Amino acid sequence: MFKQLSERFGPWVSLGIFLLMFLWLVMLVILPQILMIDYSLRPNLPPSQIGGPEDQYTLRNYATLANNAIHQSIFFKTIWSSVLVTLCTLVVCYPLAYYLAKVATPRQAALCVLLLIIPFWINEILRTFSWFIILSYRGPLNALLLSLGFIDRPIRFLSGDGGVIVGMVYAYILFMIFPLYNAIESLDSNQIKAARNLGSGWIRTHYRIIIPHAKPGIATGCIMVFMLSAGSYAVPALLGSPGSRWFTQIIYNWFFEGGDWNQGAAYAFILLLLCIGFIVLMMRLFKVGLGDIAR
Amino acid sequence: MDSSVHLDHVMMQFDNFVAVQQTDLKIESGEFFSFLGPSGCGKTTLLNIISGFLDPTEGTVRIGGQDMRRVPANKRPTSMIFQNLALFPLMTVAENIEFGLEVRGVRKAERRKVSERLLNLVALPECRDKRISDLSGGQKQRIAIARALAVEPRVLLLDEPLSALDLKLRQHMRTELKEIQRKTGITFIYITHDQGEALTMSDRVAVMSAGKLQQVADPMTLYRAPATPFAASFVGENNRIEGRVVRVEGAQATLDCGDLGQLTGQTLDTLSPGDTALLFIRPELLTRRTSMTENCFTAQIQELNFEGAYLMMEATPLNSQRRLRIQLLSDMNLGDVATGNQVMFGFSAEDAMIMSGARDV
Ligand SMILES: Nc1ncnc2c1ncn2[C@@H]1O[C@H](COP(=O)(O)OP(=O)(O)OP(=O)(O)O)[C@@H](O)[C@H]1O
Ligand SMILES: [Mg+2]
Repeated sequence: MFKQLSERFGPWVSLGIFLLMFLWLVMLVILPQILMIDYSLRPNLPPSQIGGPEDQYTLRNYATLANNAIHQSIFFKTIWSSVLVTLCTLVVCYPLAYYLAKVATPRQAALCVLLLIIPFWINEILRTFSWFIILSYRGPLNALLLSLGFIDRPIRFLSGDGGVIVGMVYAYILFMIFPLYNAIESLDSNQIKAARNLGSGWIRTHYRIIIPHAKPGIATGCIMVFMLSAGSYAVPALLGSPGSRWFTQIIYNWFFEGGDWNQGAAYAFILLLLCIGFIVLMMRLFKVGLGDIAR
Repeated sequence: MDSSVHLDHVMMQFDNFVAVQQTDLKIESGEFFSFLGPSGCGKTTLLNIISGFLDPTEGTVRIGGQDMRRVPANKRPTSMIFQNLALFPLMTVAENIEFGLEVRGVRKAERRKVSERLLNLVALPECRDKRISDLSGGQKQRIAIARALAVEPRVLLLDEPLSALDLKLRQHMRTELKEIQRKTGITFIYITHDQGEALTMSDRVAVMSAGKLQQVADPMTLYRAPATPFAASFVGENNRIEGRVVRVEGAQATLDCGDLGQLTGQTLDTLSPGDTALLFIRPELLTRRTSMTENCFTAQIQELNFEGAYLMMEATPLNSQRRLRIQLLSDMNLGDVATGNQVMFGFSAEDAMIMSGARDV
């Protein structure tokens, strides 16, 4: 790579480029993470004792989670709910992506994509808050359901995890749609026709031909949505009730309310490990490599 | 079993573009039937209508006498071989062939038997567990045929299946396809824009142009007695000479062709003096003459290509700009046939076809 670059731009410029890339990686990615790990492995001490005899590496911060049943349950609920969000997003997005890629005319597809993107020009907090209004006890959704006679009493959508899940599915739709769309788009339409021609119904055509082809896209979309939901702070903060706290909220509390950065760093690191674990699992499950995902 | 295909008043319109004009056609059970026509004339559209991927704007398709109007694509007794084959790349060869049976709920052991039999039929038994990407072009071709045959279709639709292959393989596959058709007795509907392919393989050929059937006939008739000016110039090579009718005597007409003088040929059209008309004469039916008689002219040879058994040349008649193509057998005494020489050529009136200019396209 260096050779290619230096042939094009000369050795000095390419050296500069490499140095910048290196600096970027070290300063913005690696160093902060190392700092976090370092923090997470030290006890939380008052400033006067930092560097003193008490300041020694320990796993105590990690043990906190193991000893706190409430935090544990929130941790596992976060994982479970994120998986649920990922599945819901996939279920919502797959038909839409298929429609965009294989059914819609170019004009319809362009219009659809525009309609999908426009809401994302609005700030995330505002968008999420609009769901807060829609889902609230005296909100328009309850009013609509009441007037149509589906329910006879308003529902408290926001009291459990429901509101958070709806909000997240909505917030991360694009991260699922586009990988799926790209994957399905690249399938030769004659393959679908051939399957039909050999007698295959729609359901079989999807699970034998289209979904296997779209697997890398599905994996990419699922990984993105899972990571975003597991790491989301704004959506659970706005749409969650006290009973549906997210793990990120606990991390936030350690940092900014408990003032215990070391403890917060340890929790944040556990979340990171979880996400990496999930990526590996998805890649195993869908038998895709890193190269497929980067495509 | 009846596997005839009938098109009754079939018409296809996209927005306000008519891709297939009203068509009536009966394809017999067990026939090898070809559609021949230039790119964009509506051949694929017609296949899509027969296989159920498109609903015709008007008219109905009947297969084996049964109306196909309410029968979706996956329930029709047709099987298609796509122009790009459309084999499933994520499945093995055997899985590809067995897919149609898997859909029908056939048990694994049974499926295996069928795929083995078909792999033998296409002479590729060793490819069973290979990936599609590991096959050569000709092998893919044959697997596509096997896959299409596995569902025991009554009608096999082939959309230019040989166009991606090199000449040698194409010729080999032609005989193979014909052989498979003979063995299975399935109705073959074959699409091509290669007239050689259509003429050598088919029982009957439909010549199409701009969504319209020009002529439906067996290859010999099509070549010897084209019914329209389009069929005459599209099938095989033909010299086309415009003229004005001078006189008509029974089935013969004489045209005034300007620089070529008066030429006489056969006609099936009703012509009267003064009408514009077209005369078609094939390159191989133009021969050397030694004396000036009817249908004769002197031409200067511009270009001469030796093609083994034949000599193909382009010649310009005296006082004329047009170039005529002439084919001579190369084993006869060629004498003064050489580039730049002036030679006398002629044809017999029975060999030339005259058609009304009103039917020109
Ligand atoms: N879905 C469609 N919408 C609009 N026009 C179409 C559609 N499908 C085909 N056409 C038009 O109909 C005409 C015939 O198309 P078709 O694919 O049948 O041609 P073809 O004879 O198969 O040509 P080729 O030999 O190049 O494959 C073309 O002009 C094409 O542009
Ligand atoms: Mg075509």
